[in-house]
Amino acid sequence: MTNQTNVKLRLNNSELWGGLIGLALGGFVIWQGLKLKLGTINDPGSGYVLFYTGILMCVFATSIIVSAITEGGPTLASRWENVRWSKPLLVIACLTAFSFALEPLGFLLSSIPLMLLLLRLIDPVRWTLAIPIAVLVPTGMWWVLKRLLLIQLPSGLFGIG
Amino acid sequence: MDTLANVAHGFGVALTGINLLYCFIGVFIGTLVGVLPGIGPISAMSLLLPVTLSGTPESGIIMMAGIYYGSMYGGSTTSILVNIPGEAASVVTCIDGHQMAKQGRAGPALGISAFGSFIAGTFALVALMLVAPRLASIAIAFGPAEYFSLMVLGLVVLTFLTQGSMPKALLMACIGVVLGLIGLDSITAQPRLTFGRMELIDGIGLVPVVMGLFGVAEVLLNTEQAIKRDIINAKITQLLPNKEDWQASAGPVTRGTLLGFLLGILPGGGAVVASFASYALEKRLSKTPERFGHGAIEGVAGPESANNAAAGGAFIPLMTLGIPPNVVMALLLGAFVIHGLQPGPLLITQNPGLFWGIVASMYIGNVMLLILNLPMIGMWVQLLKLPYNILFPLIILFTILGVYCSSNNVFDVYVMIAFGIIGYFMRKLGYEPAPLVLAFVLGPMLENNLRKSLILSQGDLWTFVQRPISAACLALALVLLIAPLLPSLRKKRELVALDEGA
Repeated sequence: MTNQTNVKLRLNNSELWGGLIGLALGGFVIWQGLKLKLGTINDPGSGYVLFYTGILMCVFATSIIVSAITEGGPTLASRWENVRWSKPLLVIACLTAFSFALEPLGFLLSSIPLMLLLLRLIDPVRWTLAIPIAVLVPTGMWWVLKRLLLIQLPSGLFGIG
Repeated sequence: MDTLANVAHGFGVALTGINLLYCFIGVFIGTLVGVLPGIGPISAMSLLLPVTLSGTPESGIIMMAGIYYGSMYGGSTTSILVNIPGEAASVVTCIDGHQMAKQGRAGPALGISAFGSFIAGTFALVALMLVAPRLASIAIAFGPAEYFSLMVLGLVVLTFLTQGSMPKALLMACIGVVLGLIGLDSITAQPRLTFGRMELIDGIGLVPVVMGLFGVAEVLLNTEQAIKRDIINAKITQLLPNKEDWQASAGPVTRGTLLGFLLGILPGGGAVVASFASYALEKRLSKTPERFGHGAIEGVAGPESANNAAAGGAFIPLMTLGIPPNVVMALLLGAFVIHGLQPGPLLITQNPGLFWGIVASMYIGNVMLLILNLPMIGMWVQLLKLPYNILFPLIILFTILGVYCSSNNVFDVYVMIAFGIIGYFMRKLGYEPAPLVLAFVLGPMLENNLRKSLILSQGDLWTFVQRPISAACLALALVLLIAPLLPSLRKKRELVALDEGA
């Protein structure tokens, strides 16, 4: 009984945190709806649908929170149990770095390292295969887009690409 | 007679060289993504949405449609040979299809799946030709109240059928509506949720959102585990089912076709639900239900026919009402909008070449698929050996390029990466992205129709219940919202719940 109560009341409950995020988002949407003016029911304003959608979000989020408190839920760590959690994390880090590098470095200088990192980090592809793929695929795509389809990809500060 | 003339006109459009090429590219890519586990039709269609810009609307939409029904064919190959569903609608095929393959009957399993799909696809097209124009003529009388209620019903059905808890799915749908409302208000031209960023004035694009939620997030999820494949290596022979196989499959194919078509038309339904429902029906009707799960050909024939018939049926609400019944159709709606077209009751009369051309191309595509999936089965089996550690980085690069090319805007690449990361965490916490995407597409239309009906009725909310179609849709939506509270119905919902992301 004691154990069960502990499970229900613990803060390390992913369902609870999901619900709380939903509630916060709902509150934010309600506030934005009010800021944009609701108008009247005869002539609904720009914030009308936002406001009521925000209310619905709060209702559904509250329902998730209530069920998380009464029925319990898996911990955050358990969602990543028995999986290679570091792999998606590495891919996310690569994509974040790429998004910062894309404009200043341009498409070619940012996508070649991105490809090389992804090829080596997900399930390491041997260097002799990874390097040609990482160089040839983005360069080939760049050539097709720029020369054949006349689409200008970002060339960055160095004007490469 | 009119229908025949229209069909002939449609074939005239579909049989032009360029449209045949786009149709072939579509069904080829569809089979490819169907065969490859990890990427489904949604990811592939979102990836190729920008490509549709380069050709005529007919060509682009013919290709997108080809990807969808092509993936239904291809998905069964992976299910039967590898026991991994290539896409969500083929999950059920794994159960008996892979057992048949293990017993050395991979050929008949693949054969009946392709023939069943062809028969169902053909039926769905004939029904589409007959039903769509009639429904479109009725839909002209629809007012904003009917449209609003139909969209509410569509969203509720999808949330009802989505895996996991219903409040989570409803929360996702609400978030989708909010995201869809970002940008200028279509009535007052007031900027909403733009936070002073010029890039958000036109709202968030469908392409980056879908590519992020289904493309990037799918790759992130797949990198978590090493994908193991148990490929049937024995040479596949005798693809044509024998007389006994046909006798056993005739009933399931017929029932699966009819059931799938009807479920495909329903808003929120689609190929996944149809395949599960068909399997359950066949098992219930069978005199020897114990054979199911151990290589019963009926367990392959029924669901495979049902998912193809549903794929055809799903075009009806989009083409006649302009309402996408599922995420795939929402993407197709995106393709129409990119070309400045609005599917709806007037599409068939104003753009007969487009409508009938698409319908005719689907028939041609079905024939192409039969050829691609039977004699060329060996090629698809070889493809199953493509290493994922090379495929996933390529998918990421293509999504980046696809998003950039759709708008020539780096901001959209940031949006896609952000939605990819959000989508990954959403899936990890049990929040499915499908209701969000459908609501994102329907959100602006939903708001527009709600506000119009309130203005027209001078604020009288009874307008939604005084009109019979609107009242029926809202009543059905209410029933579905209340249903999960009843334990017996909750169990049924869990049985048919679908994973759109697969």
